[in-house]
Amino acid sequence: MIWKTAWKNVWRNKIRSLVVIISITIGIFGGVFAVAVMNGAIAQRVDAALNDEISHIHINDPSFRDNYDIQLTLDQPERLLDTIDSTPGVAAVTFRTIITGMANTATKSTGVQIVGIDPEKEKSVFTLYKTTIPGTGSFFDQDSRENLAYIGQDLAKELNIIRYIIDDSVLEALVEKEVPQDVVDKLKGFNGYRFKSEKSFKQEVKNVLSVKEQRDFGSLIREEAWSFRPRSRMTLTFLDKNQVQTGAVFRIAGIYDVRNSMFEMTQVFVRNSDLIPLTGLAPDQFHQAVIRVDDMQAAPDISETLKEKLPGYEVMNWKEIQPDLAMMTDMIEKFYAIFMVIILAALAFGIVNTMLMVVLERTKELGMLTAIGMNKKRVFNMIMMESVFLSIVGGVVGMGISQAVIGITARNGINFTNYQEGLEALGYTSHIYPSISPSFFIMVTVLIIITGILSSIYPALKALKLDPAEALRTE
Amino acid sequence: MNNLKMAWRNLWRNRRRTLITSASVLFAVFFALFFRSLQLGSYDHMFKNAIESYTGYIQVQQKDYWDEKIVDNTFAYDRQLEQQLLADKNVEAAIPRFESFALASNGPQTKGVLVLGIDPEKENHLSKVSEKMVRYRLDAESISKIGQDPEIPDKVKELARLFEDNAYTNSSRLQLDLGISDKDAPVIMPSIESFTSFENGYIKMGEPGVLVGDKLSQYLQLGIGDTIVLIGQGYHASTAAGKYEIKGIVKIPLPDIDNKIVYLPLDICQGLYNAEGNLTSLALDVVDNRDKAIDETMARIDKIVTGDKRVMGWREMNEVMVSQMDADNKSGMIMIAILYLVIAFGVFGTVLMLTAERKREFGVLVAIGMQKKKLASVMTAEMLLIGLIGMLSGALVATVIILYGVGHPIIFKGSMAKMFEDYGMEPMMAFLGINTYFLWQIFIVALMVLLSIVYPLSKIFKMKVVNALRA
Repeated sequence: MIWKTAWKNVWRNKIRSLVVIISITIGIFGGVFAVAVMNGAIAQRVDAALNDEISHIHINDPSFRDNYDIQLTLDQPERLLDTIDSTPGVAAVTFRTIITGMANTATKSTGVQIVGIDPEKEKSVFTLYKTTIPGTGSFFDQDSRENLAYIGQDLAKELNIIRYIIDDSVLEALVEKEVPQDVVDKLKGFNGYRFKSEKSFKQEVKNVLSVKEQRDFGSLIREEAWSFRPRSRMTLTFLDKNQVQTGAVFRIAGIYDVRNSMFEMTQVFVRNSDLIPLTGLAPDQFHQAVIRVDDMQAAPDISETLKEKLPGYEVMNWKEIQPDLAMMTDMIEKFYAIFMVIILAALAFGIVNTMLMVVLERTKELGMLTAIGMNKKRVFNMIMMESVFLSIVGGVVGMGISQAVIGITARNGINFTNYQEGLEALGYTSHIYPSISPSFFIMVTVLIIITGILSSIYPALKALKLDPAEALRTE
Repeated sequence: MNNLKMAWRNLWRNRRRTLITSASVLFAVFFALFFRSLQLGSYDHMFKNAIESYTGYIQVQQKDYWDEKIVDNTFAYDRQLEQQLLADKNVEAAIPRFESFALASNGPQTKGVLVLGIDPEKENHLSKVSEKMVRYRLDAESISKIGQDPEIPDKVKELARLFEDNAYTNSSRLQLDLGISDKDAPVIMPSIESFTSFENGYIKMGEPGVLVGDKLSQYLQLGIGDTIVLIGQGYHASTAAGKYEIKGIVKIPLPDIDNKIVYLPLDICQGLYNAEGNLTSLALDVVDNRDKAIDETMARIDKIVTGDKRVMGWREMNEVMVSQMDADNKSGMIMIAILYLVIAFGVFGTVLMLTAERKREFGVLVAIGMQKKKLASVMTAEMLLIGLIGMLSGALVATVIILYGVGHPIIFKGSMAKMFEDYGMEPMMAFLGINTYFLWQIFIVALMVLLSIVYPLSKIFKMKVVNALRA
């Protein structure tokens, strides 16, 4: 009964209640949406790490990771494979050869990790093959007798395999894509020019275009000027099993884009059938087994089981391989909670003030209610209910709007192009799809109710202190 | 003056409400200042680390060097230019450097490294390499010695094992990582220092020898006195190869640099790359490192530096880091904006109540001859005072904490510190002292109050006295 009265009381002064409700709505929406964007970025990072970069469990020689010594191959790969296959929860496994070396083209060279793989098995563990940039080839689909290498976009840029060129066809394409003629005219000065690097391309284009033109057409111009020479080659050099310098020319099979500079710069994938003959290793000698499990949450348990079954090997799950990522996923929920608590604390001031007003304004009415026999507990409850209703209405509307906006933005994602370079250096994509788990909404709801209750205590106590005789006499 | 007096008295007619509204402003201002100070302070610290251990504030380079970092894009070490640069009032020192890449190896271990030819004496003006020498190290041997010492508590022994292989450039960080309080330090630290002390040497111009980063030395499994082999590409595509004795180990506070840096004496490095007398850059140390002073200095230097050379500022050289900080900075600002928005509604709620409650009073005042304009200014003054009280008290509380924080940055100890280090960050959070971000809060609060005042003012001006009197 009392809650009905409280609900009606909320709507006695509509404007006042609405101000509080709107402020709660905005606070909750702002908080939830900000959290969703952050959470989306992290979820995408974890997703990319687990699906494209590291997968769930690695098995290698205990000393292998110290310095990637080529001689530290896996013992008894046959038996190892049997053990892994017979472990419940394992979805797929692939074996890799991992060698530290250098990648060279005519003008540049850089240190890389050469990863020898079996493309078919690799596809069952990693989804990296899906990130091939259209037009650059494929993930070893070519039927070629040449050595093939699958490399990252940033490495391709570093080695001048991807270049920026502005020529007639680029200018024509820009006109076709409805870039204004005066912008295209400004770029005509570069006709036939090959830029030395992405940096110099950006710099030179920046010099001729205005800020607005860059913002509107910059990415389009970059896309068109971006050029990849099919059949590009590079040389991979490294020390073989007997510490003898060796190497070979590899043709670029395809270029991948995982929006993680570190990974793209260092990971060069080649077929084991091309790599093994150069290394002096036997065809069944590998450095690492990479396992994908059915349920990512179960990875730590499965890796424990494998550890027991496989003494003498190093078995690591993704949380151990990338502790920063694990820490991030474990800690971030606490951060979200703290953030929401701060917002709700700010909201609480507004609620307290309004409820105080409610009590003072109704002094006479409350006095009357007490005088005709409504006990103090019910008065207290009524005030508390009103406060909780205010916060719940605001909270529910706020969460509803958040859910809708998250749904809309998640369809196409939000693009933070301005921060692309910085975010990708940390391994985060700049194209974020906001997302949040349902449990977060439950937590927020609980916090909102607690806020409503806490901020009603002071005004409700004020109401209890009223002396009925005194209160009745007030105007 | 009278208006202000009336406003002030009005405020205290409903003391509770004034205090709660001011408190909400206080809350917002305090949090905003506190978080801004921490965030901006951390950027400041990170930039200083990057600038002072590596790039310097301003560099003079050959014009193509930054785009293509090859030995061919170097310039002759021109003493006349150096003198001209030093003549600038904001340039404290011009430090010659020769920077390149090479493959470093020790038997089977190979890694691409950053080779930096430096003048060991001049470098003390900027990157202060001599202060970054490893002095203590928790290697297996020192940990076992710590383990056997009965005077050292078990908790310290445990932490020592957690931090195995960590290197330290000073004993205070070592003390913090081991979780030893200042009270216990005089008793325990001397023995720990002696267990962990690390014999280190330094390089000198003209003498072959290298310093290597701590992480790099661990990766290559090299120690003092061992030999490192460097292979790279020299001037005009010649081969650059050399064998050098490791004289010392440095710990650079940037993990990305620490795991790939090799310092050589400048002349030896030029010899290695067959580029005698050439430099890749002259890094400048400045007297005044504020943004404005740097920009002005760069403009002046730009006139001196001619021909095939160019001037670069630290922002351009640390582009990626600037972009990261910028993204992080924006996200922090959005959170504060949400906080302020919520508080603004709270203030608006108060205004709404004030207006409703005093409708009749306003009517009476106007009826007995008070001008509506005057009434409006009293009302505005009231709200501004509420904002001012909240803002000043919030700023006061925040200032006290921030000023304390500037002298005492938050430094993490024990396993918490380990977590930060795993993440590639220094285990500390610095505060930024009072700066322009304080002004922003004043501006925001003022804006907030002024926006919320619109409603009561329009009420006052539209008010019909007869109706108001009957309310």
